[in-house]
Amino acid sequence: MAESVKVLPDNIQEIIEVQEWDMRTREGVERFRQLKAKSLPTVALDGELIYESIIPMQEELIAEIEKRYKEKNQDA
Amino acid sequence: MNSLTKMKNTAQKNKYIYHTRGVCPPEIHFKINSGTIEDIRFVGGGCSGNAQLVTRLLEGKPVAEVLESLVGIDCRNGTSCSDQLASALHEVNKGQLHSAESFRVANDASPKRRIGLIGAIEGKADIVDKLIQHIQASNVETFYWLGNLTGDSIQNQDVIKALRKQKIIALQGERDWQYARSKEEKGMPPINQSQRDWLFRLPQVLSFQLDQRKGMAFFGDFIQSLPDYSDFEPFALEINMVCGLADFMQDETVFPALEAMLPQIQTDIVLFSQTQKWGHWQVGGKDFISVGPASDDDKIYWGILEADSETIHFKVMDAEVEGGQYE
Repeated sequence: MAESVKVLPDNIQEIIEVQEWDMRTREGVERFRQLKAKSLPTVALDGELIYESIIPMQEELIAEIEKRYKEKNQDA
Repeated sequence: MNSLTKMKNTAQKNKYIYHTRGVCPPEIHFKINSGTIEDIRFVGGGCSGNAQLVTRLLEGKPVAEVLESLVGIDCRNGTSCSDQLASALHEVNKGQLHSAESFRVANDASPKRRIGLIGAIEGKADIVDKLIQHIQASNVETFYWLGNLTGDSIQNQDVIKALRKQKIIALQGERDWQYARSKEEKGMPPINQSQRDWLFRLPQVLSFQLDQRKGMAFFGDFIQSLPDYSDFEPFALEINMVCGLADFMQDETVFPALEAMLPQIQTDIVLFSQTQKWGHWQVGGKDFISVGPASDDDKIYWGILEADSETIHFKVMDAEVEGGQYE
């Protein structure tokens, strides 16, 4: 899953911070539980669970990121 | 019936686990043997190829020589894997990093087809003989006691005496661990130092084989809070999945995630006993068994785990009934 994020274009990489959790670890499991996720792989944006059990198409992921970026910055 | 002679404590006295800061791998594992460094392993992330190269170059070198090469290399965040290893070695030299024993693992190496399982007895010495007699009459090849052996009972010392005498394969439970470190809750009945030492040396994880299947057993999540617990030790993944992810198999909503993780798990059967409930779950071709309490108000329980070529079978037995299965 992290690979699909790593290959996002530069203009998207510039507006996001990526955090990957290792599900083998206690920290990863704790984060998974905090997100109330149920299956793998899981992608959350701004702490909100967006994709579960699927790896989104790049265009779809980019659109979701841009939508959230615009919403957060519309008043700026 | 039970034998401890084949059990091997796999803990390494000169092994160290260093929790890194600012680099990709969260832990570095290594050993120091007579002043030389061995078995370096950057665990949990980072550049695998580079890590292997560093490991090969440093293997068997004196610590003093290694330190000269490692200090001050910058990769990210003002540090690097090599620099973090140097920090670890400095801490060893200063006595600030102590040798690690993530948890004690015992191995019952000979394959079995029929195993008895006993859960928390919590110091109830008066049921030990009845349990053992009932189990021995049931033609099991061995039986495992999963802790807690001790509890809020003045008979704790009698339970320990009985188990030591029988040379039973017993695992440490959380209460036993508290007693072992003289950190039992206030008001708990005292036990003597020799018995505390016996509890201290009990394995915390048991590896076993049922027919062709690999199994592991542990008590519960106190193992995750042991001072040097590593998420990357053998059997830690099973513990993390059962305790953390699946809440001792009580949260079925996360079973899809558990199933996705199972290909990384080495064992086919996972036994635990913290929840004080009997239960058996089959997820992704693996068996998870919760070993319940040894007794309640009016019954004495134990479990039988059996294997045939196709599958495993688990049932709860009632020790008050001759040959009795509890339903």
